[in-house]
Amino acid sequence: MTIRDEVRQAVTALASPPPATSGGAIRGTTSDLTIDEMLLLHSAGWEPVDFVYGISWWSVPWGAWQWTTGEVQEASSAFAGAATQAAKQLRESCERAGGTGVLGVEIGVRVSSHHVAIELSGTAVRRMSADQHRFEFVSDLSARDFVLLDRAGWWPLGIAAGASFVIAPRRTAREWASQQGQNVELPNLTQALYLARERAMERMQRSGTAMKADGIVAVKLREGRASSSVRVIQFVAIGTGVRLRTASHQSIAPEMVVPLDERVRQFDVKSLRGNTPE
Amino acid sequence: MAELEDRPGHKGMFTSDLSVNEFLLIKEVGFHPLGFVMGSSIYHLGIQTRRWSQSQELSKLTEAMYEARQLAMDRMDAEATELGADGVVGVRLDVNYYEWGADTAEFIAVGTAVKAEDGRSYRNRQGKPFTSDLSGQDFWVLMQTGHVPLGLVMGTCVYHIAHRGLGQTVRAAGRNVELPNFTQALYEARELAMTRMQDEANELQASGIVGVRLEEKSHMWGAHTIEFLSLGTAVARSTGDFTIPQPKTIISLDG
Repeated sequence: MTIRDEVRQAVTALASPPPATSGGAIRGTTSDLTIDEMLLLHSAGWEPVDFVYGISWWSVPWGAWQWTTGEVQEASSAFAGAATQAAKQLRESCERAGGTGVLGVEIGVRVSSHHVAIELSGTAVRRMSADQHRFEFVSDLSARDFVLLDRAGWWPLGIAAGASFVIAPRRTAREWASQQGQNVELPNLTQALYLARERAMERMQRSGTAMKADGIVAVKLREGRASSSVRVIQFVAIGTGVRLRTASHQSIAPEMVVPLDERVRQFDVKSLRGNTPE
Repeated sequence: MAELEDRPGHKGMFTSDLSVNEFLLIKEVGFHPLGFVMGSSIYHLGIQTRRWSQSQELSKLTEAMYEARQLAMDRMDAEATELGADGVVGVRLDVNYYEWGADTAEFIAVGTAVKAEDGRSYRNRQGKPFTSDLSGQDFWVLMQTGHVPLGLVMGTCVYHIAHRGLGQTVRAAGRNVELPNFTQALYEARELAMTRMQDEANELQASGIVGVRLEEKSHMWGAHTIEFLSLGTAVARSTGDFTIPQPKTIISLDG
């Protein structure tokens, strides 16, 4: 083939749209992955496709925060609804882009006195040798974590989340008076907050069980004030459900290293990848 | 679910706040995470009068800070014991203050309960699961060097540091002088906290304490009252011969 033919062929290739996948026409790749992560993904046989998102707002009826004691049921169920809906949207958005999984999902949770909003955004990825286009996973793990998990024989499934909103009980005047100046535990407050935390984690566990996970890793427990009342406290537990894909756990054979750079890092996880035969 | 339960070595589902790296390293040394465990206590701190010009330990506050943390840790331990754990790794101790609670604070202990996969018991000499604030990475390194954690040990001391008298302030103005009463007070408070931590380690018959941190916080008491908290993981040599692997020296080419 002459150079002339080659150039002509290249120009025709550029002019015609790339082969459509199940998700329709592919645009250029957009992703918030770093170059390192991109390379690592490629080395594991995956490629980024597009930046995808899922957003869901649920309203909380006015007054839900005021006239109850204990758990604020409306807010808790609004969270559950918003989480499911946002995950569904993220999945649809990923499938439209032609991806089979979403990595590095950022999870934004906003709670005000009128609504609960959940925003998920991440990078859709797919296998490079894909002949199947079945949706596989959503995860807030980084590409590096994903590759490491994969080497060890594990597989992310999805984001497991649970929340609970509680109104901290008040002390009676007599209790308050008897505790002044004393070293004492406040059992009813301790219990109320403990139970609320426990409930958030239980709900997360339930969503993990629903996706048939073997476990949930990298659980983050966020807590803080919710809504305009100082007595309302929110607990949100979020993690990634994982499943053992192979018959048994594979060793990742870490090695001890001492970096000789000036900037001493105590532990370098890149060295954890070891020398697995490619 | 039936499919999962049938799988050998997997009973139910685990949860853990370990990162993926930590999770894989814990697996590497032969442990499996069982669950995220926690304990908490909301505690009302008593009042203790301080003398403006006297350096002294505020024993009532020290007691409160210690007991509240101990309550939280005991509850975390109880959760771990219930799961049949050998230990708890990555323990974090937090203190929360809420706007609605004057003089109250919430003490929280969280960590991941783990169990050895080879069926050996790693519980400490008191028959309780060991606790450790080491990260998954540190835990891996510790096990590589033939040590086992015995327990998280802590010592605390709330100390009131005397204000300087007028005469002393005037004499020191514009001069290079040591302020012996400040030096002495801070030294003594630190020493007390550390000694208490060491006593706890001795009780566990530890051969040493690793990863000791000394935290100084004024919480809500104003500048002259400081809590000194020292925390570390008591360790002991494990039985059997160990050769410590020679670490590889590397120069990374990035950044």
